[in-house]
Amino acid sequence: MGSISLRTIAIATVAVLAAGFGLAFFYAPEDADQGFIQKIFYLHVPLAICALLGFIVAAIHAIRHLRTGDPIHDARSYVSIHLSVIFGVGVLLTGAIWARGSWGVWWEWREPTLVSFLIVFLLYATYYPLRYAIEDRDRQARYASVFAITAGAFVPLNFLAVRLAEPLIHPRTFSSAGGLPAEMMLAFLVCLVGMGLLWVTLVRFELGAKAASADLGRIRRALQGDGAPPAPAPSVAPVGVSATSAMSAGSAERSREGAPPGATRFRKKAS
Amino acid sequence: MPPLLLAIEDAEGYVGGAYLVFLLLLLVYVAIMAAKLQRIQRDLGELAELAEQPRRSEEVSGR
Repeated sequence: MGSISLRTIAIATVAVLAAGFGLAFFYAPEDADQGFIQKIFYLHVPLAICALLGFIVAAIHAIRHLRTGDPIHDARSYVSIHLSVIFGVGVLLTGAIWARGSWGVWWEWREPTLVSFLIVFLLYATYYPLRYAIEDRDRQARYASVFAITAGAFVPLNFLAVRLAEPLIHPRTFSSAGGLPAEMMLAFLVCLVGMGLLWVTLVRFELGAKAASADLGRIRRALQGDGAPPAPAPSVAPVGVSATSAMSAGSAERSREGAPPGATRFRKKAS
Repeated sequence: MPPLLLAIEDAEGYVGGAYLVFLLLLLVYVAIMAAKLQRIQRDLGELAELAEQPRRSEEVSGR
């Protein structure tokens, strides 16, 4: 991953996402049950999968951080969670729009898929207050890693629990016999790869910005000759605080209504 | 019902709305990151000035 330049991966992201959305709108057939509104599927589901996988990636980086003590893994874990929370906002918003159009409601509290995703999202939303409530940088990184591992383990468990639960109205697309028709599956897979590339691009972009901020802080301290040992880069600066100023100050861096549960599989509209 | 909601009371409107929300989210993120990069650029300029100060003072004292 490190050998491919950010520019290359960004161009690939735009190309694959454009191809995926193109396939979704112009190649994949309309769903016989839901009609045109099912096109949200090609955006909503890849966003959700990438957000959840991102939380697991953050947990893996957190394990590596606790094992090695290298702050780069803490920074990667932080950025992975940050991007996955942003993707999570996208999942909740696009899901609410789809629910309104398809089921006539913005939200359904009795549906385990929706509520469980909200729980995971809110769980990760507490990562920031937890992290920045601790001033000591090493302790902050360690506690954040422990949180990322615990919450990361909760993600697959939560997914499994939702799969085992009885669905109310939310589709269980990939568990249905037969799954998606080939054209829909192709469009979906291209969108999924595109969304994965977008996640990787944004993670690398943010990590690059954080590394630059940390390097600037080190240079400033060296130029001002305050004698403080150089901070390892990249590190995580507090939200809303200039990394350079923070570091130079010696502070811590930072239903369809009534639809039957069986009506969950997407199928081609008969022409 | 507000006119905006009336306008999106069809499948095309909902699909367009969902993709627009995604685009807006992406744009907001990119705008925030652009602001951060501008700050880094400004800090870099300050540091360049700081780095040049000793040389300038040496030049002044040399005269």
